Amino acid sequence: MPITEVPNLAPALPEIFLGLAAMSLLMLGVFQNTTGPDGVMKASRLTSGLGIVMLVLAMVLVVTVSGDRLLTFDGLFVSDPFASFVKVLILIASTFSLILAEDWMEKQGCHRFEYVIVILFATLGMMMMVSANNMLSLYMGLELQSLSLYILAAFQRDDMRSTEAGVKYFVLGALASGMLLYGMSLVYGFSGTTDFDALAALFAGGTEPAAGLIIGLVFIIAGLTFKVSGVPFHMWTPDVYEGAPTPVTAFFSVAPKVAALALFIRVMNGPFGDLASQWQQIIIAISVASMLLGGFAAIAQTNIKRMMAYSSIGHVGYALIGLAVANETGVRAILVYLTIYVFMNIGTFACIMAMRRSDRAVENIGDLAGLAKTHPAMAAAMAVFMFSMAGIPPLAGFIGKLYIFLAAVEAGFMMLAIIGVLASVVSAYYYLRIIKIMYFDKPVTTPLETPIPKRIVGVLVITSIFVLAFVVFPNPVINAAGVAASALFSG
Amino acid sequence: MIEAIVFLPLVGFALVGLLAFVDPGTDTPEAKAKKHKIDFASQWITSGSLLLSMVLSWVVFNDVALEGNAYTVQLMTWIQSGDLELNWAFKVDTLTAVMLVVVTTVSAMVHVYSIGYMHHDPDVPRFMAYLSLFTFAMLMLVTADNLVQLFFGWEGVGLASYLLIGFWYTKPSANAAAIKAFVVNRVGDFGFVLGILACYVIFDTVNLDQIFARAGEMTQVNISIFSGEFHAITVICLLLFIGAMGKSAQLGLHTWLPDAMEGPTPVSALIHAATMVTAGIFMVVRMSPLFEYSDLALQVVAIVGASTAIFAATVACTQFDIKRVIAYSTCSQLGYMFFAIGVSAYNAAIFHLMTHAFFKALLFLGAGSVIHAMSDEQDMRKMGGIWKSIPVTYTLMWIGSLALVGIWPFAGFYSKDIVLEAAWAAHTLVGDYAFWLGITAAFLTAFYSWRLIIMSFHGSPRADETVMAHVHESPKIMIAPLFVLAFGACFAGLVGYGWFVGDGAGVFWANSILILPEHTAMVDAHHVPMWVKYLPLVVGVAGITLAYVMYMFAPNLPQMVVNAIRPVHKFVFNKWYFDELYDAMFVRPAFMAGKGFWKTGDGAIIDGMGPDGVASTADDTARRVAALQSGYLYHYAFSMLIGVVLMVSWYLFTHAG
Amino acid sequence: MNAGMLIDNVLLGEYFPILVFLGIAIALSVFLIAASIIIGRQKPDPEKLSAYECGFPPFDDARTKFDIRFYLVAILFIIFDLEVAFLFPWAVSLGSIGLFGFWSMIVFLGVLTIGFIYEWKKGALEWE
Repeated sequence: MPITEVPNLAPALPEIFLGLAAMSLLMLGVFQNTTGPDGVMKASRLTSGLGIVMLVLAMVLVVTVSGDRLLTFDGLFVSDPFASFVKVLILIASTFSLILAEDWMEKQGCHRFEYVIVILFATLGMMMMVSANNMLSLYMGLELQSLSLYILAAFQRDDMRSTEAGVKYFVLGALASGMLLYGMSLVYGFSGTTDFDALAALFAGGTEPAAGLIIGLVFIIAGLTFKVSGVPFHMWTPDVYEGAPTPVTAFFSVAPKVAALALFIRVMNGPFGDLASQWQQIIIAISVASMLLGGFAAIAQTNIKRMMAYSSIGHVGYALIGLAVANETGVRAILVYLTIYVFMNIGTFACIMAMRRSDRAVENIGDLAGLAKTHPAMAAAMAVFMFSMAGIPPLAGFIGKLYIFLAAVEAGFMMLAIIGVLASVVSAYYYLRIIKIMYFDKPVTTPLETPIPKRIVGVLVITSIFVLAFVVFPNPVINAAGVAASALFSG
Repeated sequence: MIEAIVFLPLVGFALVGLLAFVDPGTDTPEAKAKKHKIDFASQWITSGSLLLSMVLSWVVFNDVALEGNAYTVQLMTWIQSGDLELNWAFKVDTLTAVMLVVVTTVSAMVHVYSIGYMHHDPDVPRFMAYLSLFTFAMLMLVTADNLVQLFFGWEGVGLASYLLIGFWYTKPSANAAAIKAFVVNRVGDFGFVLGILACYVIFDTVNLDQIFARAGEMTQVNISIFSGEFHAITVICLLLFIGAMGKSAQLGLHTWLPDAMEGPTPVSALIHAATMVTAGIFMVVRMSPLFEYSDLALQVVAIVGASTAIFAATVACTQFDIKRVIAYSTCSQLGYMFFAIGVSAYNAAIFHLMTHAFFKALLFLGAGSVIHAMSDEQDMRKMGGIWKSIPVTYTLMWIGSLALVGIWPFAGFYSKDIVLEAAWAAHTLVGDYAFWLGITAAFLTAFYSWRLIIMSFHGSPRADETVMAHVHESPKIMIAPLFVLAFGACFAGLVGYGWFVGDGAGVFWANSILILPEHTAMVDAHHVPMWVKYLPLVVGVAGITLAYVMYMFAPNLPQMVVNAIRPVHKFVFNKWYFDELYDAMFVRPAFMAGKGFWKTGDGAIIDGMGPDGVASTADDTARRVAALQSGYLYHYAFSMLIGVVLMVSWYLFTHAG
Repeated sequence: MNAGMLIDNVLLGEYFPILVFLGIAIALSVFLIAASIIIGRQKPDPEKLSAYECGFPPFDDARTKFDIRFYLVAILFIIFDLEVAFLFPWAVSLGSIGLFGFWSMIVFLGVLTIGFIYEWKKGALEWE
């Protein structure tokens, strides 16, 4: 296609819409009268409400444009069922975290309308990532997302821990981006192209690739592993999760993780799909290390956000099992797993955000002691999420793990499945400990604040129903994931 | 009808067992009234069902034993697996009918007696329920038509015995005794189970009639055990006899019986004198068509029985606990029954079993009455001088003792004499051994029986005044059953002689017992010399006389005798050191092994390497892994670079090399 | 010689002018510095050696507080500086990229303008 023609904009409609929406909201917000605390709050509430509407509209657009595989922008951008599935998931995650955020931010006094804008830009970046069909568009999406996330981590800018989290994330993120770029340049240097389809065609013949190209691939894996916070590129995760404001942590733990994993899947199975034998072992190593470290390190934590950081590292380890098997079943398993993971995690963070005492947010695990007596409903919801995360039947988390392990066993990765099961036993330790603390420990101080805000209650209800009922109605998600996975492999 | 006999006690157990869960509350007048109602209901439901069962048993006895209408009732299929087919069925022949009468009669009397004896107890419904459960299991045992059903009843009575010995579960000694009874019985049960399995191996069936039908063909068959060839029927019989030894407290496996006296006295009377301990006798007699084909097994039975008879009699002479004396007496009498079996005098054994059930139950319940009168005192050294206060009990104890010693015309005279005569008439070495030991034991029996009576009732009171002031005759509800049993003790021998061992025996027993023609002891027993006939009576009277001399007329004599034969007395007084021997041989090594396995095996190795070890390793690992998170940016960046370097070098070494 | 190495050599050949450019740049800067050292009169004093036009002393404890506005201005400057740098190749090739190329840059400028409005409205451009 000559560069002078207008490309087909339809496949990218959701992204274009979201970009315009974000900019409009930015203008809307900045022209609000923000003199005095009331004005700030009004602006924040307005943009927050509109932001949620925009995300939902974007979701509608994603569903509308989804269909066959379409390339546009000179092959830089792809729209296929896989991208649509993941985008919907990302938008759901972003929407939930926006719903949860406003109330918490107001109470902490850091409610500013820019928060919504940055979330929208981050979401836009993630959507770009999953639709990338070229190293360059990949990098652009990734950086849009990453830069937004750096700002979000440091959003509570008068808080030491929050700024520290931002700086750490930024520096390490820059390092990871550097590795990624270096890997891309090596790949480009040894293959002469950055286009995914061209790369795939290059390796399809089964010729042994040059060593430098594989080293480039290793660097790309390193960069992407950082984004999904797999071991040994996970070190930022606990500090950033702990330091960032809780709604941001909630957002971090779901949307970027989904996006980065989806990107990981597309890069490894798309252009480098025929090199699977070259990279499988690395992914297995990362997966095993992540599962074990996530399981063990979480045990020693006292801060619940930090614990959730290690928990997310562990969950990435399980998801990477699905990547390591490098086939359609594996990808479907990851997508099912991620869907369940998003709901469990949102629910858990909704509980964490409801943890307030004497007008202050508290985040120690010990603060949950005796929750079953003071907030029985919340304790029950939390127990459901913890059981689900530990993978106890018949909750959704069990089904997610089941699909992952089944994929591994089918592909002959028996050891990987066994390690996965063992690691989930270890992780059950700290998930069940939370339940034990809530139900069997005596409260040490004054009970947590009541009542729980309505929005949090709403999110808790939705997520816990999802987690409880998934076993009864698993088909919509599993079928959609199946379609998405097969699209990735047939295209 | 037979169904009603067996299941009535079960219904009683079920109903009253549920009643036992009703909590009447505590310490209010309403609660007391409620408890009274519950107790009353439970007592009369169980006793009523047992009395009905007893009446029906007598009807069955008349029909089956006297009219000769033996039959088998099939209830339902229990197990069907390949060749093995087991039915719940009631085999009712003369042997069963006799046992039905004995079990239901004694059980009914004990139920009624318990109404009075246990009325202060806080757990009346539980007690009555256990008694009925026991009776049900015992009836299942005696009506079994196959070995497995017999084993079901066998274990059922073992369970009930365990529960009743440990009825007062707050007493540590009662718990220990219950466990001891159970464990010692398990040793015997293991033999029994092996016997059943051997039976199945040889006969391909566990059905009694089928086994008996084929026993004659199998006399030459060998069974190989650990590559040795053994006579199959002998092996089966010896294994079954081990089971019988456990249940009937024969020498070696007898240690549980004296300890079982920790249970309430009605339990001792019913289970540990009249019925359960005779299950071993019943089983061996039931298996007579097998035992008859193994001379070796019969000899073993005779030797063990005779040895038990003399051993237990010696110990009984030295004990001071009134119930233990009777318990050893029971043990001794069971020995008589076994050596009767050993000389193929099965009908004599069952005859003695039947008479013994009456007079021993009478003695136990009488002893219970004495204990009741003495405010729960069991030590004979603290009794004495009460015969005028409780004349009825005194008289009944006399009747029981006369029957036990075998004074004409009481029941024991007939049954014990025929047992001893059969032993003599066997004209074998084993028979002689049994006869002479039996005679000696008879002398000792007379001695300890009157030692018991004199120490308990005569002489100057040795209890304190408050106890003596309370001495009173037991209520009518307790005395009435004693009269029934005393009636049995008086006339059972006289009435039963003709049927059981007399001229009518052949018709009476029909096919329920097999005695091969070459085993002539039972036939010859009626034609023994005069001195053999009268010797038991003579030694009995001699024993009584000696007891009078030593305990009534020369009260210092016993101590002098004891001093004179101190080592012997000490040996006997300590029950031949069986308990100590077993303690050293089995119990302590078992405890040590158990403790070793527990502390070292389970605690240190399995828990240490397993749950505890894994948990602490996990905690430890968690701390170490968490410590990696230093918080320094450059550490994090460094770890990322190291990660990349590792990944690249791994790739270079594995792929590019 | 396989296909990969062939690509390598062709690619490397295309980079030759850059190598020449680098060589000339290094040579020229070395020449200029050397010339000023050799020809110029060297008479240093503290005032001459101190940094100027950067607002704060260059050699000091790094942890002292300084005004964030310097960075703000620098960052804003870089954004628009890069915008201008982006405009040059666009302007040169405008003839061959047609109307779509033209509107693409207008959209880009529009996005930048929105950012500019935001920073203006937020007061980022006011020193006080």
